Amino acid sequence: MLQFKLVLLGDSSVGKSSIVHRFVKDTFDELRESTIGAAFLSQTIKVESEDQQEVVIKFEIWDTAGQERYKSLAPMYYRNANAALVVYDVTQEDSLNKAKAWVEELKNKVGDEDLVIFLVGNKVDLCEGSDNEDKRAVAATLAKQYAEDQGLMFDEVSAKTGHGVKEVFQAIGQRLYDTKKEELATRQRGNGNDGQVDINVPRPSTNDTTGCCS
Amino acid sequence: MNCSEKELPAESSPTKDEFKKCPSTPNLQNIRDLSSEHHREDHANGYLPIGNRFHQEEAVSPSAGSGRGSLLDLYGDDDNSYVQVSPTPSHHSLRRRSTDAGGNRTSTTRSVHSTTTKRRSAIPELQNLDRYGFRKQNNYITLKDYDNWWQNYSKYCVRRKHKWQLFLTKSGLSLNGDSPTKFPPQSEKLKRYVRKGIPAEWRGNAWWYFARGDEMLNKHKGLYDKLVDKCQAEKVKVRDIDVIERDLNRTFPDNIHFHRESFQVEDPLMIRSLRRVLVAFSLYDPNIGYCQSMNFLVGLLLFFMNEERAFWMLVIITKKYLPEVHSVNLEGVNIDQGVLILCIKQYLPELWTKMESTYTNDGEIGSSDQQDALKQMEILNKLPPITLSTASWFMSCFIGVVPIETTLRIWDCLFYEKSHFLFKVSLAIFKLCEGELVEKKPSLLFSQNIFASFSNESLLSNHTHDWAAHQNMNRDDYDMILFQVIQTFPKKLLNPNDIFDKVLFKKKIPLNKLDQDEIDKIRKYVISQRKKWVRFNKVLKKGDSSSSAIVAEAKVDSRNAAVSKEFGMSDDMIADVLASELSGFKRMSLAGVDWNTNIKARVKQMKQQGK
Repeated sequence: MLQFKLVLLGDSSVGKSSIVHRFVKDTFDELRESTIGAAFLSQTIKVESEDQQEVVIKFEIWDTAGQERYKSLAPMYYRNANAALVVYDVTQEDSLNKAKAWVEELKNKVGDEDLVIFLVGNKVDLCEGSDNEDKRAVAATLAKQYAEDQGLMFDEVSAKTGHGVKEVFQAIGQRLYDTKKEELATRQRGNGNDGQVDINVPRPSTNDTTGCCS
Repeated sequence: MNCSEKELPAESSPTKDEFKKCPSTPNLQNIRDLSSEHHREDHANGYLPIGNRFHQEEAVSPSAGSGRGSLLDLYGDDDNSYVQVSPTPSHHSLRRRSTDAGGNRTSTTRSVHSTTTKRRSAIPELQNLDRYGFRKQNNYITLKDYDNWWQNYSKYCVRRKHKWQLFLTKSGLSLNGDSPTKFPPQSEKLKRYVRKGIPAEWRGNAWWYFARGDEMLNKHKGLYDKLVDKCQAEKVKVRDIDVIERDLNRTFPDNIHFHRESFQVEDPLMIRSLRRVLVAFSLYDPNIGYCQSMNFLVGLLLFFMNEERAFWMLVIITKKYLPEVHSVNLEGVNIDQGVLILCIKQYLPELWTKMESTYTNDGEIGSSDQQDALKQMEILNKLPPITLSTASWFMSCFIGVVPIETTLRIWDCLFYEKSHFLFKVSLAIFKLCEGELVEKKPSLLFSQNIFASFSNESLLSNHTHDWAAHQNMNRDDYDMILFQVIQTFPKKLLNPNDIFDKVLFKKKIPLNKLDQDEIDKIRKYVISQRKKWVRFNKVLKKGDSSSSAIVAEAKVDSRNAAVSKEFGMSDDMIADVLASELSGFKRMSLAGVDWNTNIKARVKQMKQQGK
């Protein structure tokens, strides 16, 4: 089993907790309490190896509070993270700007080049159907273009209907597996295949030497 | 506040649907229809429907028996039922207990007009709610567990209230019609009484009294109303208004007094009060503005006191009890977490050893001694992972962390004993689950780590959850268990006496030696260490690359005057560090001496490099 740390970031009320709960418990609450600090959840998925074997991946998920000022606590959350889900609300234009700021922060502060960043537009259910098209404030093409430019994974989901949620985590799991597999192969060659490998491989350092508040 | 605690297990969803369809209780609907303006002006009576001062209910039902009673039964009737259904389809009776002016408890039954549909759907729901309108049942507590516990605890509350009545009377204080406004002077006896729980209907007054609310209010008479008027009249642009609005309906969304039905045009009364208090506060204290978690603090206060008092209590909490915790940079959160970590280290050393073994250092400096020294320093700055969970304990003062009745008992002590009590409770929680945490030994021999297993994929595919239970678990596994236990365990603390009787009343347990004086000292120490770390970090980082260059650079760079001074006068710096080593603990068993020796060595080494 492989274990990865995943952190959710994004503006307040974009649906971070709802996405995690859809993924972990397959439930949805219209009104969910605002998250204070952070909440921890875990969930396992299975990905496929090249020879079609199942590989179990366990996600250690940190769901964080969205308010701007919680940014000062954020380094605590994304320290040693392998993946970040940066969430915005497709009906709130400004939430994409906040998401972009998070992407910047991750790129600047997290030294790990293998960090998987997945940009997620949530609440697509609100703008489904011809009546509701005007509720969309962020065009999918716009966000997609941004994600491509920045080298991020991207998709739109609905935590309410469940649309696309599992796929996001599946894709992250697969990506992490593929990356780490190569890393392992390289290391094993270097280590003379003695099975003694650096424990820090699945949790690479983020070189977050600045600490939380400095 | 964790997002999962209010979630119901899948099998209970029909109840939830029922709840959503149900247009709330008839009484509550009426309450919500009262004008918010009236509510605000009526400071003496305009707060939540608890206790015997729920005057709105009188307004709604003038035919009520004694006219003084709560919507929800504060203690539960002997038959343990809150609601009895009247045989007449057009009425339902709310059987409840009330207290008359002399403090004698009487039972009254009264009827409330309402439509049949509303009534019928509301009744089963009320039975699933506690005395504050929260759901009894959640992911961690079953309805049966709740009812079994409440049967005893409600009796305990009645007994305690009786003792309080005697205590007040003997102290020559008036019960003021079951709403005492003055309490005895500070004493061990009073402390014990507070720890055993303040009667629910006295809580608002008692918290206000112990927190010295009157002093604050008298200094600023009428200010709250002015602030509210300012927000409403001028449409002042409040910086955090969007965040406040987004959080209003995410404050106790499952509580009957905060829950907004989809058909309701206006927000429930409680939400409107909550909005006014939060907006007024963000005008009053722009340095704090609005911080997520304050919504829960005010929400809980509004159960027990009127808006104006809730506002001033928030001022007192954020200034006196939890300084800097809600400020824009949340530095107080980091400081308190540093304090908590030192407390764990001091009072639960065995647990700390386990936790520390999972805390890895990113430092890349040569010898292990130096690594240890830096790791020690880092702890107060790059806080250990467990603080990801515990930060919210302090921000929300345990609301949502532990069940409501336990939260209230903690709040009783918080206002009487000040903030050190939050640390004491945190330690008590760790103490209670210490067994669970210490037993799970993370293997220090990582021979069977995940990558060793990874090389054998056929083995991997057979290993799922069982793997984590394997005794050779790695650090990540231990971290996960730690987080899981620390997040889940407190939610099961349904009975407040579990934590009070098993830990907090036991004088032999060392953590009970912790007092406010000690916490204040540790806080000062952590603040100084965190500031120092920022400076050290600059020096150490640069010192690694080129010590001499940095000395020169520091000397010419006026912004680095402090660094230059420190670096150039490292003997002073060492003295400074040693002097500040007074961490506040009564028994100085912190590993501070080793730490300083290492820093001293490091600085000397750098000094030599610099020459």
